[in-house]
Amino acid sequence: MLERREFMQRGLALGGLFAMPRLSWAETGKKEPGARTLVMLHLNGGNDGLNTVIPYQDPNYRILRPGIGIDTGQVRKIDDTYGLHPSLAAFEQLWRRDRLAIVNGIGYPQPNYSHFRSTEIYYTAQPDSTPTDGWLGRAIEGTTSTKPLRAVALVKEKPLLLQGASNGVVTMTDFRQFELPEGARETAEMYREAAKLGGARGEVAARAIEALKVANRIARLKPRNAGFYGAVGRDLGKAFALLRTDLDLEVIHLSMGGYDTHANQGNRHNQLLGQLGNNLRSFQDQLERAGLGDRVVTCVFSEFGRRAQENLSGGTDHGSAYPAFVIGKGIRTGLHGKYPSLEDLDRGNFKYTTDFRSLFGGLLRDFLHVDPKPVLGAFQPMEMMA
Amino acid sequence: MGKQLEERVAVGHLLRRAGFGLGRADADAWLSLGFKKAVRRLLDEVTEPAPADPAGFDAYQPGLIQQVWLDRMIAGANPLAEKLAFFWHGHFATSDAKIQEPKLMWAQYQLFRTRGAGRFRALVDGVNRDVAMIRWLDGNANRKGAPNENYGRELQELFTLGIGNYTEKDIREIARAFTGWGSRRHDFVFTKAFHDDGPKTVHGKTGNFGGDEVTAILCDLPACHRFIATKLAHFFLAGDPTTQEIDDLATVLAKTKGDIRSALFVLFLSPGFRDTSRYRALVKSPVEFTVGALRATGVSTTPLWGHGGLERMGQILFRPPSVKGWTRGSGWLNSAGVVERLKAARRLGQERPDTADRIEAVAYEDSIPDSLRTRLRAVQGAERVTLALAAPEYQLA
Repeated sequence: MLERREFMQRGLALGGLFAMPRLSWAETGKKEPGARTLVMLHLNGGNDGLNTVIPYQDPNYRILRPGIGIDTGQVRKIDDTYGLHPSLAAFEQLWRRDRLAIVNGIGYPQPNYSHFRSTEIYYTAQPDSTPTDGWLGRAIEGTTSTKPLRAVALVKEKPLLLQGASNGVVTMTDFRQFELPEGARETAEMYREAAKLGGARGEVAARAIEALKVANRIARLKPRNAGFYGAVGRDLGKAFALLRTDLDLEVIHLSMGGYDTHANQGNRHNQLLGQLGNNLRSFQDQLERAGLGDRVVTCVFSEFGRRAQENLSGGTDHGSAYPAFVIGKGIRTGLHGKYPSLEDLDRGNFKYTTDFRSLFGGLLRDFLHVDPKPVLGAFQPMEMMA
Repeated sequence: MGKQLEERVAVGHLLRRAGFGLGRADADAWLSLGFKKAVRRLLDEVTEPAPADPAGFDAYQPGLIQQVWLDRMIAGANPLAEKLAFFWHGHFATSDAKIQEPKLMWAQYQLFRTRGAGRFRALVDGVNRDVAMIRWLDGNANRKGAPNENYGRELQELFTLGIGNYTEKDIREIARAFTGWGSRRHDFVFTKAFHDDGPKTVHGKTGNFGGDEVTAILCDLPACHRFIATKLAHFFLAGDPTTQEIDDLATVLAKTKGDIRSALFVLFLSPGFRDTSRYRALVKSPVEFTVGALRATGVSTTPLWGHGGLERMGQILFRPPSVKGWTRGSGWLNSAGVVERLKAARRLGQERPDTADRIEAVAYEDSIPDSLRTRLRAVQGAERVTLALAAPEYQLA
């Protein structure tokens, strides 16, 4: 940990105006990341994992969830022990088509129950220190690329997840925000001339030209509407449009809100999971039809799961471990990680069995071909690709 | 060191670094003052009391704390004090995303505004008791027998010494010294029962230290002088200050018990500051660009689109991305950043075409590269203002 902080700090100290100290990929002995995109979807608020992937045979399930438990008959069984929430018909199909991995028991030691803090932990992968940058930001910063745009966050404020990358990260909520104002042609001409002159202004001009080229392409994109609905659908439609370009993004970050189900969660959770599943299946189908199946993997995570025992308001309170999902073609599908015990709880919360850094590390190593160790620390990465 | 900037150009350079650039309303006054007198005026004014909050000020009105601060940057009487507050905001970076109490964020700004140019130790003493900071770095969880090391670590790593200049033991001991330093609602409270008053050893000194004593120890360390000298140099002087320049600033801080104003005097009057290689050499952050462009076109209050632009460029006051503050440099010139700068330039051109007559003086102190001058002179009114503010040179301070 200290080494990394030191490295980052030294990098900062060395940085002149345009100096960007980076480990070149050649030096680390790995190959340059290809045109592969990791889509990170955060279920904001803390998804109720116990009602998402249901251990329907476990008698404790009924004890913990007398009111909001899902009837065994309604559970979408994926094997003799586990089943999916009834609203997740789409996930069941992805499962049958060998496109879905369920990673049980995701968490980290000494869980924090604050949305803000636990989100920080998932975004930075640094539970023990004040967060300063995100693990995907570090991953991007640690690899060289000549591309002007490497990661897009489809949210309003740049997430901590992508902090630490000094360049190549853009947040957006609307493609139209990139429409160039009138007169941009004259400005671009001025930049082209200045770029030839070199010096600091030349570098600014060269960078601005690249930025405008990318902006111009994004502004012309139309979010995909067909097959998507609701807020998360609109964002996935934007992600799909971005993925169809040759921008070759390495990361797209999205967030879906509403999971903080403290009261009367039944209908709300049905709707959320229905919308999540249907849109993600549509996303995966459309990616494959567009020939992008091998290039995109989606990871669905949350800042925590919820308390094992339902509360007296027909909802659930903040908890800890939960199942995460990975969707894609060519991934190691199936059930991974041990489902936490429903009996052996830690102050009412599930004990995690799989550190989230193993999951994210596996995605980095096996899908993005980035060495996870300097980014996430010494966690054994999970085998993520088949 | 190479050639020095000539008088008039040096004044424009000074105002971009020590403030937010020349304004349409005040450019002539600053330019006629000359460089040394301008330095003196900026540093004299920096000790004046902060303006009172506007009538009916309610920190909880959405966007108001941003509005009032930006307006002070644009049209306030004390550009260096606002620039220093902005510097300290990035140094002691605290975000309302976690605090969710704009009133506390405003109180923190006022601390930077009133103590920003004084002795560094007095500023840290204030930060130690700042309720937003206490909430930000878990001061209320720091109790005798169960110290929370968050503040003890960041106080050294990010606020006073920099990485590599302290041990893990220093962190633990300093955390103990701050046990019981917490908050209740909007007030700082010291709870004796939570405080560990046993002996601590911090950077080689032992005593029954509390927060004030360890702060005094930290602020006296040569590493602290060097760390603050480096931060000041990167912000006000250059992306690549020389070792000698940092040493010189550290020496001033050591001799003056950390007087920031004295360090800035030396910095602005150093040959390096006026060296031509330092002219237009730092990428303006979104706040610096936006405030500067509004000033250059004589707009005295932040328009609504200005707030939207800053948000899309990724720099919202009181919401830095992490305790490390904003990353300075060319990363700001991404697609969203450049498009927003162009939109702002276009908009100001259209709204203030009459400012074209003096835009070369106000935005460029008449020191303008030939190629750009030709372009500007070829057009008029809105077009000229737009090009002047969108030019690559204008993105640099």
